[in-house]
Amino acid sequence: MKTEVVGSRALREDSWGKVFGQTKFPADVNLPNQIYGVVVRSPHPHARILNINSEEAMKLEGVAVVLTANDVPHNSHGVLFRDQPVIADYVRMVGDPVAVVGGETMEIAREAAERIRVDYEILPAIFDPEEAMKPEVPPLHPELQSTNVLYHLPIRRGSMEEGWAKADVVVEQVYKTQHVDHAFLQPEAVLAYLDERGHMVVQTATQYAHYDRGEIAHALGFRYSQVQVKTLAVGGAFGGREDISLQIIAALLALKTQRPVKMENTREESFYSHSKRHPMTMYYKTGAAKDGKLVAMQAKIIGDAGAYSSWSINVLRKSAVHATGPYEIPNVEIDSFAVFTNNPYTGAMRGFGAAQTVLAYESQMDLLAKKLGISPLEIRLRNCFQVGSITATGQELTSSVPLDQCLAKIAPYFRREVETP
Amino acid sequence: MKYYQPQSVNEAIEIAYSSQGIFLAGGTDLVLQMQKRKIQPKALIDLGRIPELHEIKETKEYIEIGSMATFSEMGKSKLIAEKASSLWLACQTMGSPQIRNQATIGGNLGNCSPAADGLPPLLALGTEAVLISGEGEKQMPLADLLGQTPLLSPGTLIVGFKIPKIHLLSGFAKLGRREALAIARLSVAVALELDGSKVGNVRVALGAVGRRAFLSDSLAHVLSQREFNESWLELGISQIQGVVRAALGDRASAPYKRVAVAGVFREAVASLRRQGGLDK
Amino acid sequence: MMVIECIVNDKKYVLEVDPQERLLDVLRNHLGLLGTKEGCGEGECGACTVILDGKTVNSCLVLAGQAHNSVITTIEGVGNRQSPHPVQKAFVEVGAVQCGFCTPGMVLSAKNLLDKNPHPSDEEIGVALSGNLCRCTGYDKILRAVKLAAEEGK
Ligand SMILES: Cc1cc2nc3c(=O)[nH]c(=O)nc-3n(C[C@H](O)[C@H](O)[C@H](O)COP(=O)(O)OP(=O)(O)OC[C@H]3O[C@@H](n4cnc5c(N)ncnc54)[C@H](O)[C@@H]3O)c2cc1C
Ligand code: FES
Ligand code: FES
Repeated sequence: MKTEVVGSRALREDSWGKVFGQTKFPADVNLPNQIYGVVVRSPHPHARILNINSEEAMKLEGVAVVLTANDVPHNSHGVLFRDQPVIADYVRMVGDPVAVVGGETMEIAREAAERIRVDYEILPAIFDPEEAMKPEVPPLHPELQSTNVLYHLPIRRGSMEEGWAKADVVVEQVYKTQHVDHAFLQPEAVLAYLDERGHMVVQTATQYAHYDRGEIAHALGFRYSQVQVKTLAVGGAFGGREDISLQIIAALLALKTQRPVKMENTREESFYSHSKRHPMTMYYKTGAAKDGKLVAMQAKIIGDAGAYSSWSINVLRKSAVHATGPYEIPNVEIDSFAVFTNNPYTGAMRGFGAAQTVLAYESQMDLLAKKLGISPLEIRLRNCFQVGSITATGQELTSSVPLDQCLAKIAPYFRREVETP
Repeated sequence: MKYYQPQSVNEAIEIAYSSQGIFLAGGTDLVLQMQKRKIQPKALIDLGRIPELHEIKETKEYIEIGSMATFSEMGKSKLIAEKASSLWLACQTMGSPQIRNQATIGGNLGNCSPAADGLPPLLALGTEAVLISGEGEKQMPLADLLGQTPLLSPGTLIVGFKIPKIHLLSGFAKLGRREALAIARLSVAVALELDGSKVGNVRVALGAVGRRAFLSDSLAHVLSQREFNESWLELGISQIQGVVRAALGDRASAPYKRVAVAGVFREAVASLRRQGGLDK
Repeated sequence: MMVIECIVNDKKYVLEVDPQERLLDVLRNHLGLLGTKEGCGEGECGACTVILDGKTVNSCLVLAGQAHNSVITTIEGVGNRQSPHPVQKAFVEVGAVQCGFCTPGMVLSAKNLLDKNPHPSDEEIGVALSGNLCRCTGYDKILRAVKLAAEEGK
């Protein structure tokens, strides 16, 4: 198949503005008379807020307003469930926003934020998802689930009994991955203002302008048509700008003060405020017959959702669906869980749950090859998906599965590596 | 906050006395500390306009480096490459090009972080520090200065460093998490005199294994006056592991650094071998 | 407050600044030169790179006073659509730009390298850009673009 598009070279039109430094990112837009917003974040992973004293902050000249949970008309947001507060009165993770200051300059706002005194009742926190999923552990989101297990997806194919009976070699291992931050190069920034119609305009860098619009409208009690989200240049995202960050807070400040509001995260605030990649604990047991064919696999995948659900369901679903890797296995039992803890909340990040399981299933392949006395390449060639293969979820692959070609291409390099360690 | 730009050392000392301000060199440590509100100085005394503090020169007995010499200036200096090569090596891997263009050797000492890259080489090279204050100028071994707390009394200015020209061969190696912009997890500088295959006096300094960089007496003692060969290297490795063990005690990083120091020491020695035809 | 004088992109300025302000703040807030970016505010990312008296520095770590009597080049002083600098042209042609947030700093580091060393080796290019982080491209195309710019300059 030949097209004019695939394989042809195209210049990115937007790169010209970027090489001259002309492109506007959200930190680069300002309005006359704007105030600056700064968020006070919880240093505790689990706490109830008893009192917030903003007297000392308000004494500072140039402080326009201090907002807390009570000031938010509808205090919730979230991509799947609205389980995350705009400004928290109950803290579920370090970094939850507990108050917001608006000041005439960034320096004044920062100084005021430091002067706000928050009394917390510190509650016991839970950081280990396997501990958190026990039924006797109090749930962090009782309104969503009666335990901390937000999601469980079982996948079954064939018969495990038959599978293990055929296995000549079995490898059983536990794999763990860690939190990862997207560290997009441009920290979050927003400019929010009410336009001449009284509509809320929010200029920001987001992966989901249309979602943001709904979230802002909901939290402020506006109609959709009264909210406009303008996406400026996005300085990297990688999944980390799918959840809303400062947008609602800035809009709320603009509403309360009737002035344009500028907010900019420092790098440190950025780390505290957006989602992370799910750490996963993956229990894998995989069996193969003497001929190198995979016969059975059992996997239990526990993803740490952290304090809020974000995209955890979709991420752990994807982990489960990709748990076998690109290999055909007739007998499969997969259980994937997303579990609430008091860790930073986790969400979308490049690969969306498919990246973590690679570590587990590919390591299993290497270990099985070793046990069978065949090369790591050989075991993959004998098991990889082809046209006509059926995946663990029962999907028949009907077109274009050129994995064998890909493996053939890397084979020469691979052999060389093996020969010259 | 007041901001001064004195044109001479004497003027700087006077301002320091009258304003109770602190000295600003490149600012790569200080500006960050101010941004994070860790310090809120009454006044800053910018040393950038005092020409004599920038000099790198050779005198009869010493290589002299002004406190305001930047890591890039030192890293591009032929004199330092030839006669103080451990320092030259440290300059190549310190920070990033932008940081090296700004950061000074005086600031490296003034800030005195455990991982300061400039200090182990200077220690190994037997450097003297030159200080000046309202009470006058004084010169003292850097090793002694690093034993003092606080490092400098208020208003004391680091004028520069004098590296004795005793033709020491020297090497340096650093372990960081990546190549650029990596604070040392561990660094080792070695300097020695060599006569044929016989090693004379040896000095070994370590960074990032304690509160401040330090010279190891025991390593100097064990490694001096011996044949320079594989067993010298092995002896050095087992000894330096002991030094790290003693310095770190049961700190979390101890098990890692105890093992890693073997490789870092080996590399430091390898970097020194490349000079002076040692590598045969 | 204090008064500083400097030449930015060939234009002379006399500015009244707060001595706490960083060169980055002066450029962005006083002069409206928004092409200089802040990615970390602590010297790690290089997005705020400018050329000060012929050397690249992180403008987030330079105080306004330190820039007194200096000559500064920011991205706005490097080229324009009518006559792009070879580095800028090469970045576009090779596809070295994705989100573009690192790009101004990258271009300045590369330009300064080529000003001093018109025919750098691959290693020299790597070292010259080692203080500039990019989270999007994986660096390969950026290095290739600088190489291309050097070749075009021959
Ligand atoms: C991104 C980044 C990476 C870094 N990487 C490294 C690294 O790899 N290795 C490393 O060693 N360091 C590193 N540093 C730390 C820093 O750059 C060095 O410590 C540097 O040498 C400090 O020098 P300066 O001129 O910037 O000092 P400044 O910040 O100006 O001053 C530091 C301190 O010394 C005092 N001082 C300065 N000069 C004098 C003087 N002449 N007399 C008396 N007191 C004085 C100041 O008052 C201040 O307290 C890094 C810093 C950053 C931001
Ligand atoms: S903003 Fe200056 S180095 Fe990152
Ligand atoms: S292009 Fe996005 S950080 Fe470099």
